[in-house]
Amino acid sequence: MRKTLIIIGLITAILSVILAVLPLSNFAFIPAIIAAICGLLAFFKSKAEKKPKHTVQLILLLTIIALALATYKSVMVTSEVGDTEKLEQRDKDSQEDAVQELEDIEITD
Amino acid sequence: MKNFLTFLLFNISLIITAQNNAFQAGEKLTFTAGYNMSGLMTDFAEVTMETSEVRTKKSALLRLKCKATTYSKWDNFFKIRDLYESYVNPKTLTPYLYKRDINEGGHYKYVKYNFNHKSKTVKSLIRKKSKNFKSGFWDRNETVKIKNNTKDIVTTIYHLRSLDINKAYLGDSDTFTVLFDNIETKFTFTYIAKETINTAIGKKECYKLRIDLTNDNTLKGNSNFLWLTADENKIPVYAKFKVAVGSGELKIKSATGLKN
Repeated sequence: MRKTLIIIGLITAILSVILAVLPLSNFAFIPAIIAAICGLLAFFKSKAEKKPKHTVQLILLLTIIALALATYKSVMVTSEVGDTEKLEQRDKDSQEDAVQELEDIEITD
Repeated sequence: MKNFLTFLLFNISLIITAQNNAFQAGEKLTFTAGYNMSGLMTDFAEVTMETSEVRTKKSALLRLKCKATTYSKWDNFFKIRDLYESYVNPKTLTPYLYKRDINEGGHYKYVKYNFNHKSKTVKSLIRKKSKNFKSGFWDRNETVKIKNNTKDIVTTIYHLRSLDINKAYLGDSDTFTVLFDNIETKFTFTYIAKETINTAIGKKECYKLRIDLTNDNTLKGNSNFLWLTADENKIPVYAKFKVAVGSGELKIKSATGLKN
């Protein structure tokens, strides 16, 4: 039971850190919460059975890092459009080409 | 029989009264595109829909333009810079020229349709990047036969707004033929409910429409919906699309230059 909790906790904690680093940081909360629950349960089990808690501490540390990073990104990072200079130029050129192409078009109602 | 008559009347009323009273040149709608998985939403792009007047020597046309741009945080992972445009008759919204210039994560594609409504054909050009050609591009020119009311995707969205949905009954539907990648695809819009939803431009009463694609698997199942404001402008304020995993959403951010 303790081993299973540690394995699940470690996998979800690593996953949450990876997600927190990526732009998908909002999705990091789900594995982070699972990792925190598994980590805490494994911690109490280890305490009761008087077994080493190093891996459990690592799970909790990774979870805290993932949660802190994901929370920071969701609060502080605003969604802004990147560099659109080339797109604007394409837009302008496209309109000029279209006007030339449609020069002889006579619209009918 | 009763349903058939209602459907027929709805379609006839749409054909007779389809006058563009919903938008004008100078309108700009800005949306946020996001991906929703298990209730967690992440925004990834900004979509704008703009209209402007374009003058040629002989006529004045309406330019309908849609742009999609990923947010800077996504640019390093999957950069999107898409431009869709259509040049239409301002009164009847008949398309004359359609262009699609997409750049998605390194994938480039350019599509151009010159509509000839007399001969019911479309002169199509599809351009892709290719190392096999000196120019670096591979061009495919084709002439495609189209049906009477076939339009491009951009014009269809705006055409939908010009319809008198207020005269339609719940359950009424209308089908539009859209030419996409040289294939005529049928889009069916069904009016399923009238709902009031909260949007960035206020609390709006909306027509909820279900979108069905008859011969395409891009949108999955019957879970694709579009909310148009139940006023003269019929602004598309919210759209929800079921994709392979999770769902995509389009939420309005701002609307300027509205006609009404």
